[in-house]
Amino acid sequence: MAQKFDPITLEILWRRLISIVDESDASVARTAFSSLTRDAHDYTCMFTDRKGRELAQGTLATPGQAGAMALGVKNLIGKFPIEGYKPGDIVICNDPWLLAGHLNDVCVMSPIFYQERLEAFTACVFHHSDIGGRVSSDNHDVFEDGLYIPPVKLYDDGVPNEPVFQMIRWNVRTPDEVIGDIRSQVAANHVCAEKIEEMLHDTGMGTLDDLADEIIERTEKSMRSSIDKVPDGVYASEAIIEQVGEGEDVVIKMSIEVKGSDITVDLAGSSPQVDWGGNVVYNFTYAYVFMALKSMFDPDLPNNAGAAKPIALDAPEGTVVNCKFPAAVAARMQIGHFMTETVYRALAPAVPDKVIAASGGTPATMNVFYGRRNNGSPWHCVIIRGGGMGASSQYDGYYDVIFPANGANTPVEVFESDTPLLVERREIIPDSGGAGKMKGGLGRRVVFRTPDDEYAPLPPVNLGIQAGRYRYPPAGLFGGKPGRKAYFLVNGKDGNPYKLTQFGPGDVVTIDVPGGGGYGDPLERDPELVEHDVANQYVSVEKAREDYGVVIDAKTLKLDIEATGKLRGSLKKS
Amino acid sequence: MSDKVYRLGCDIGGTFTDFVLLNDETGEIKIHKCLTTPQDPSDAVEEGVVALSGKEQGFVKKLDEVIHGTTLVINAIIERKGARTGLITTKGFRDTLELGREIRYAPYDIFSEYPVPLIPRPLRLEVDERIRSDGTVLKSLDTEEAKKVVHELMDQGVTSIAVCLLNSYENPVHEFMLKDIILKEAPDMSLSISYEVLPQIKEYERTSTTATNAYVKPLTGTYLAKLTQRLETLGSTGKLFIMLASGGITSAETAAQFPVRVIESGPTAAVIAGQYYGKMFNIKDIFCFDMGGTTAKSCLIQKGVAGVVPTFEVGRVQRFMKGSGLTIQVPVVDLMEIGAGGGSIAKVSRMGTLQVGPESSGAAPGPICYARGGTGPGVTDSDLVLGYLDENFFLGGEMKLDKEAAIRGIEEQIAKPLGVSLTQAAWGIHDLINETMAAAAKTHIAEKGGNPKIVTVAAFGGAGPVHAYGLTRKLGAPKLLIPPIAGVGSALGFFTAPRAFDLVRSHKASLAEADFAEIEKIFQELEAEGDRTIQKAGKAEESIFERSLDMRFVGQGSETNIAIPEGDFARIKREDIRSKFDEVYKNLYGRTYPESEIEFINFRVRASLPERILQLHKIEKKEGISLQDTIKGQRSAYSPIAQDYIPYTVYDRYKLFPGAAFEGPAIIEERESTIVVGEDTSIAVDEYGFVWIDMKKEE
Repeated sequence: MAQKFDPITLEILWRRLISIVDESDASVARTAFSSLTRDAHDYTCMFTDRKGRELAQGTLATPGQAGAMALGVKNLIGKFPIEGYKPGDIVICNDPWLLAGHLNDVCVMSPIFYQERLEAFTACVFHHSDIGGRVSSDNHDVFEDGLYIPPVKLYDDGVPNEPVFQMIRWNVRTPDEVIGDIRSQVAANHVCAEKIEEMLHDTGMGTLDDLADEIIERTEKSMRSSIDKVPDGVYASEAIIEQVGEGEDVVIKMSIEVKGSDITVDLAGSSPQVDWGGNVVYNFTYAYVFMALKSMFDPDLPNNAGAAKPIALDAPEGTVVNCKFPAAVAARMQIGHFMTETVYRALAPAVPDKVIAASGGTPATMNVFYGRRNNGSPWHCVIIRGGGMGASSQYDGYYDVIFPANGANTPVEVFESDTPLLVERREIIPDSGGAGKMKGGLGRRVVFRTPDDEYAPLPPVNLGIQAGRYRYPPAGLFGGKPGRKAYFLVNGKDGNPYKLTQFGPGDVVTIDVPGGGGYGDPLERDPELVEHDVANQYVSVEKAREDYGVVIDAKTLKLDIEATGKLRGSLKKS
Repeated sequence: MSDKVYRLGCDIGGTFTDFVLLNDETGEIKIHKCLTTPQDPSDAVEEGVVALSGKEQGFVKKLDEVIHGTTLVINAIIERKGARTGLITTKGFRDTLELGREIRYAPYDIFSEYPVPLIPRPLRLEVDERIRSDGTVLKSLDTEEAKKVVHELMDQGVTSIAVCLLNSYENPVHEFMLKDIILKEAPDMSLSISYEVLPQIKEYERTSTTATNAYVKPLTGTYLAKLTQRLETLGSTGKLFIMLASGGITSAETAAQFPVRVIESGPTAAVIAGQYYGKMFNIKDIFCFDMGGTTAKSCLIQKGVAGVVPTFEVGRVQRFMKGSGLTIQVPVVDLMEIGAGGGSIAKVSRMGTLQVGPESSGAAPGPICYARGGTGPGVTDSDLVLGYLDENFFLGGEMKLDKEAAIRGIEEQIAKPLGVSLTQAAWGIHDLINETMAAAAKTHIAEKGGNPKIVTVAAFGGAGPVHAYGLTRKLGAPKLLIPPIAGVGSALGFFTAPRAFDLVRSHKASLAEADFAEIEKIFQELEAEGDRTIQKAGKAEESIFERSLDMRFVGQGSETNIAIPEGDFARIKREDIRSKFDEVYKNLYGRTYPESEIEFINFRVRASLPERILQLHKIEKKEGISLQDTIKGQRSAYSPIAQDYIPYTVYDRYKLFPGAAFEGPAIIEERESTIVVGEDTSIAVDEYGFVWIDMKKEE
């Protein structure tokens, strides 16, 4: 007999599940080692029912990991006979095809038992700053990307599997940090498991099964009721993503069929997989397609397997969006992140108020810095950041968030105390947001300097970049203008962001992340908003005139309504 | 000195200003409540003092202390009514304040809103200078340029300046040079220096905290000066103290220097009161629960001490969503705040489930039963329908409630759409809000490593005693305590608050290599500064110092706080620090790694003055009064155990006497609140008028 839950009890129990994952999520910030995890929150905690269906994920999850885990943890669970799991078992794995798309994303998964019965699984994926290998976007196969950990037991029945620890320790540059973060993952799972057991005990439910069915069913229903409102039809879009080096650009062909409350996304016709690290595994492609649809149709409801049920994805094997082993995948976000805006672009005509223009944080910008200090000791630091958000029908794009992924920046003071480098600037770039009725978010500049005095590190300083938009800026929507492109300068000259860059004492590296695309015709933007943007130094007097047809007095920074009317009139005619 | 027997506590809230006057000799307490006067909050203070003079002739001249808590600071930030403020930063970093930490607090919401910085871009200027992360000077401050920058801000009409330079937490030399320049060029300028406000690593958090301090400094200074003057005019020669969000109290002068530390000090008083009761009755773990109209705040007090956390978010733009507010890094009592109060509105969600809050109707228009135009059924409506509140005895009968309208509202908007009965719907609202609070409470308690099954719940606030029983049941807690005058009783916390100030200095050094003599010097400097700060109060009492360390494994980003004994740090053994760290770490996280290196990050000192004793007034039993005389009658109210309406006995709290004891179900009414307990309780009243409720074990 399945347990039934009245609406009130259901809400209460559901809330508790979320707070359990959030507790486990919060424990990470307190115990993690790498700044990428502890300061930049590049990790996701979640748990599934006994069948591997996702039940809850951390509120601050990054959607790429979360979406990929929703599929991947289920696969991972199946790698061992289900009756063979024992309390105290912990599995580790970073197989990109099985899980989250690149080797740096290491998953630690544990079964949860209650009264000797397997009830659930808890898993967390951390983006490890270092997984060995060659740090660059232009690797040719996954073996160059680093250490490959197949599904193995890290703990067996509570006993640590020392050879696995040793194997990891000897294949990475910063073993203390990597092992420290794995310990933090084990702790996070422990917190989650303990709380689930406590909940089963407190409530007397005995099993999670019926609650899981109920939650997943209701979530699916909610998602479907929202999709149902979209007119049936096939909506298509295309993304062109700049290729590394001299190769042809990568093309994503997307066709979205809405039929009743079902959505099928077909990526047939997309480019074949590439011989650099931008290849995306199916799970990761799915994650960012799902991210877009979830954000449009049911952003508030806690995420679980039910939300994904109405969504099907066809991605032909061997294409860049469903690459085959052993493709290089380290830089998969350089293509994978584009799925989200491609979905928005396809569905924009059908639901113009539910989408945003392209964002400067797509793809996220990641910098891997490493080298040796002048005393010979190694240092290693990974930082991530976003750009300006795309604008929407009601809002200007926010400045500088990582989108569609999620994460935080690393404070400059933390970066400088962890590395021998200096940060000379970190600032907003005025005029970098795409003009529009609603303005795209502004991009940002960061300038790094290598000291050439007694603080100089040993040359070379290595920098691997994962980013994009150096040639094609984030596009606008409905007449909105694109945001500013990305730039990578070494000593003021264009560098190659797609190769490992090496530099030395005295060198200065500038990294500009793009602004977001605008939404709607800039000539329709409320002139007072433009006046406000100029007064706040987000938009220059010149750009106000050129892009928005708004005349602002350069001295007083006041709006000249009359001159604006005239200028806009003549601009509209032309 | 001997005739100065009175202390006055005064809490300015959003709607009401509460006063509690204490006679230290007799322990007698007089209370007063009047409307807050937002245009000049000291108006209400004067009004209250005058009104209390009517009840207690001539007390003003005999005031020893006036202790004051206020929401003025937080409201100025939320309403953006602070000063026109300028920010001076290191060249290249004027946007730190605006860029924040970048994380999207709601990952699937592409329309999330973020707070607008308190200081706009044109008022954020840069100076050419640079300190390295180890504190050495890379580039000296260009003082000529600095002067120009100050004048530029003056020309822009700035009345307050925040200074926050990169890596200044390691070496403030340039910040102090700027301070001198500003004092010279603009003597009237209000000034906040990051090294003085928050000498800690992480530039966004430090800048945001310093900027916030600068933003509210002029108005706090003006207000406190005015208040001091008004109290003097009324004839008070008592010293004015201000409560800080950390639970300590400090002189008005210090509060005016660091208003950001005051932030929201009213709710903290309830916790301090709870802490005091814990000590008074020797209860180790108290769960303080304060429920008002729009929010409920609670806090776990363990071993007599409430936790203090280092950060706070102010002015969340998406209600109660963590991450949507401005970050300030000041010590605050670790209150858990949730959007659940008497005014919280219930509705049916798109999912077909019941939802209560976080939207609230507040005091105006209020829930439907207030009959002031509110149309959304609220928690108070359900409390009324369930029989917990008396429509004719709300605020002692001053306000008549419209029960019929409340019934209609719940019936039509909740019961029908959900396909349940009126009673199920009303109970659902009451129970769900309790569950929301219980779930949050359990998380909060669990995070602190506590156990809900051993806590004593202490309830405060207008709605607290109505919901405390349900919360206590859900927590599985054995005991519930309702202090006297629970509706305003949090103000008693002012009298028991430690007169304390917390200081911190960051300095990274490995345990193996740190110079302990150098650390002793840091501690001594912090103590000297702390001494100066708290002794401004002009008391002839010795300062007390508590030292602690924030330490971590090399490579970790979060620290673990370790208390250390008094005495010369240079004489402490390294291995003792090590074993202390391992002990604390293992206790918190299950295991520790003695082979991995650890380091110092922050050094902390709490400076305080000795605690003052609060002598509570004892209540007396009137001659010949029996329990029967305290009964007002019987009322039918909902019992979750019987799952039906059953008769509850209604008691008059003002008539209850020491030793009175009876069994639930019971409703105990006082003017500002109502206690509701079910049939699984035993109730006893003690000599101070505290109501003690024992929860009987189910079986």
